[in-house]
Amino acid sequence: MQRREHQPPGFSLVFWRELAWLRRRPLLLALTAVLPIGLMLLLTAILSAGLATQLPIAVLDLDGSELSRAVIRAVDATPDDAAVLHVAELSEGRHLIVSRKIRGLLMLPRNLERDVFAGRRPEVVFFYNTQTFTVGNLVLRGANAAIPSVAAGIRISLRTDEGIPVEEAKAEITPIPVQTHALFNSTLNYVHFLLTALLPAVLQTVVVTTMAYAVGLDVETRHRFAVLRRLGGGLLPAMFGKMLPYTILFLSILGIADFVLFKYLELPLRGEPELLVLAGFLFVLSCQFIGALLAMLLRPVAVAVSIATVLTAPAFGFMGIGFPRLGMNEFAYGYGEILPGTWYLMARVDQTIRGAPIDLSWKPILVLTGFVVVLIGLTAARILSMRRAAEERTS
Amino acid sequence: MTMLAVFRNEFGRVFALRPVLSVMVVAAVIYALFYPQPYLNEALRKVPIAVVDQDRTQMSRDLARLVDATPDIAVAQVLPDVPTAERQVYARAIFGILLIPQHFERDLLHGRASPIALYADASYFLMYNRMSGAVSAVSRTVGTNVEITRLIGLGVDPPVAAAATDPMPFIPVPLFNPQGGYATYILPAAFVLLLQQMLLIGVGLLGTLPGEEVSRRTRHRLSDRLYESISTVAGKLLAYLAVEAPIVTVYLIGLPYLYGIPRLGSAATILAFALPFALAVAALGLVVAAVLRNPLAVQLVFAAVGLPFFFLAGFAWPTEAMPLAVQWLAKLLPSTLAIDGLVDVAQLGASLSDVRSEFLGLWLLAAAYAAIAVVVEFARRRPAPIPVSV
Repeated sequence: MQRREHQPPGFSLVFWRELAWLRRRPLLLALTAVLPIGLMLLLTAILSAGLATQLPIAVLDLDGSELSRAVIRAVDATPDDAAVLHVAELSEGRHLIVSRKIRGLLMLPRNLERDVFAGRRPEVVFFYNTQTFTVGNLVLRGANAAIPSVAAGIRISLRTDEGIPVEEAKAEITPIPVQTHALFNSTLNYVHFLLTALLPAVLQTVVVTTMAYAVGLDVETRHRFAVLRRLGGGLLPAMFGKMLPYTILFLSILGIADFVLFKYLELPLRGEPELLVLAGFLFVLSCQFIGALLAMLLRPVAVAVSIATVLTAPAFGFMGIGFPRLGMNEFAYGYGEILPGTWYLMARVDQTIRGAPIDLSWKPILVLTGFVVVLIGLTAARILSMRRAAEERTS
Repeated sequence: MTMLAVFRNEFGRVFALRPVLSVMVVAAVIYALFYPQPYLNEALRKVPIAVVDQDRTQMSRDLARLVDATPDIAVAQVLPDVPTAERQVYARAIFGILLIPQHFERDLLHGRASPIALYADASYFLMYNRMSGAVSAVSRTVGTNVEITRLIGLGVDPPVAAAATDPMPFIPVPLFNPQGGYATYILPAAFVLLLQQMLLIGVGLLGTLPGEEVSRRTRHRLSDRLYESISTVAGKLLAYLAVEAPIVTVYLIGLPYLYGIPRLGSAATILAFALPFALAVAALGLVVAAVLRNPLAVQLVFAAVGLPFFFLAGFAWPTEAMPLAVQWLAKLLPSTLAIDGLVDVAQLGASLSDVRSEFLGLWLLAAAYAAIAVVVEFARRRPAPIPVSV
């Protein structure tokens, strides 16, 4: 407090005043620092165990032959599925799927073995639930891998029985094998992508809403706005002095979260850390100015915070974290385009999972720079118009 | 103060207080239109890939054409080599590269295995699945045709040849959401979550904004205070139910219908299940208000927790894969049980007895949170030296 009396008005006075404010307002500090860190820890905990494995499935074995048991063993042996129980009829299996006791039902028809070797092509059916998207796809993946491989074994044995050498038979049954290579993310670790993506989504909401709140407190009434201007010795230094403590705070949070992600959870960091930091800085700045602008355009603070929430809380959908942006309609694609988080996420994916070459990494960073320039311009214009309005009133 | 008086006062406040009205009614309208937008196309189609055709024969061109003809992927570019194509992947112009090596046709005609390679961007799980699924399907179809032709050439009967290439066909049958639509998967769950968010914030604001009617007379008898606390909580909960009833109906029945999401369950069962859900959320809102005590804190905290709640609910990320402590934490949120139960009832056509455990669990949560709310209310009515006035 003493500092303030000795300091001339200006940028640093506002800066230190804001820091003192943060110290004295536990709510603001909790919202800006404790909450995002806590939420990141929670998300990490949710995803920490990795993708679900050994999902329970049931078996309806109407054949009970050597072959049907081989199919069951093969499906059970995949990392995705575990055959946990036998059911006696289809309706029982369906009921178990509806009540989520099991995630899939493998049905082996009567006379499977006899019909296979007689060339009657009996069908092996797998029922699963696509209403639970991820889980449904996972159980299917296991069955999808296991059953064709059993069938391939049969096809090979049909040929070796005819006297064709095994190697030749193997080549014959798959004339066009596909070698699928995962570019980037080669372990197909979805957790890496999600953790990389969720951090900007959470931070975007936190930064925009808390800045709308913090700036809103200073511009809500004409009087407080005038006080801030006097303390800053001008509007622009006042504004930057107000913003900077939060920039530092949010960047530290981003830094801490990333440190944990890269150091302890061993997320890949294949690109340039400098570019990642630069993109983070631009991202935090753009979010801050969106929040500030909302606070200056909307009053009271509660309304500014509400609108900030409406704009940013559903943003993760528009950023393409779940469903890729490529598949979205024009409105959703366009809205994603004007969210800083979308571009920061691209830059993050480029510099972490992808390791994009530098010359192809600039686009998201340049777009973020554009956001910052435009938003600072708009904020400055709004501040000037607010001052004009205030001056007209006093004169 | 009677329950009815509390009910009337609280019901009026919902419409009198602008922040509450905007979160409970206006936000409900905005989110209903805005939130589903990213998912409305249901499926990812025509993921752009590049073909690097080093063979340049009739067969390799046919293969590329077949790949392009699948609904899942589209050949956006034909490029001379893999490094050039990789740069296009980094630039996000394409998401996969199909490499058809030299001598593809020759090897195939000679009866040798003739591999092709797919390099697919795996940072997006869904896109990777689409691309690898489509290319494998095409290679299988073409490969089967080649194999059958060869066998027939060797003098095998066509039906026998077909059986030898595919002796045991595998038929995956998706029960429910057969198209595997993304909106069909995510929206029913997301609507439940949105209802919870809006009601929690609304009740949180009502409990922290001024204007609550507090009894003028300070009663000293314990039983009177307890009775008053219970009737206050009950009156408030009834008021929230009255406000939410039309919104819940729209979100659980109207919106899914509007967005073309299949529904197997009856409206009555859905609404019967929604009752303990709405009660549990409203009661939790009263507890939240008592904890946060500041309307802006309510708004800011709930803005941030939306996304983690989404992941806790167990549909974006399977519950089976979460650590046990997190699973228990998730169970404290009404949304977790409600999403499981409501999706089962509405989309899978489960009866109330099928979802008995979720249904009873929600009643239990409602009772527990209401009990806490009563305790909070009771503590507030501690006889004060200075009588509390409005």
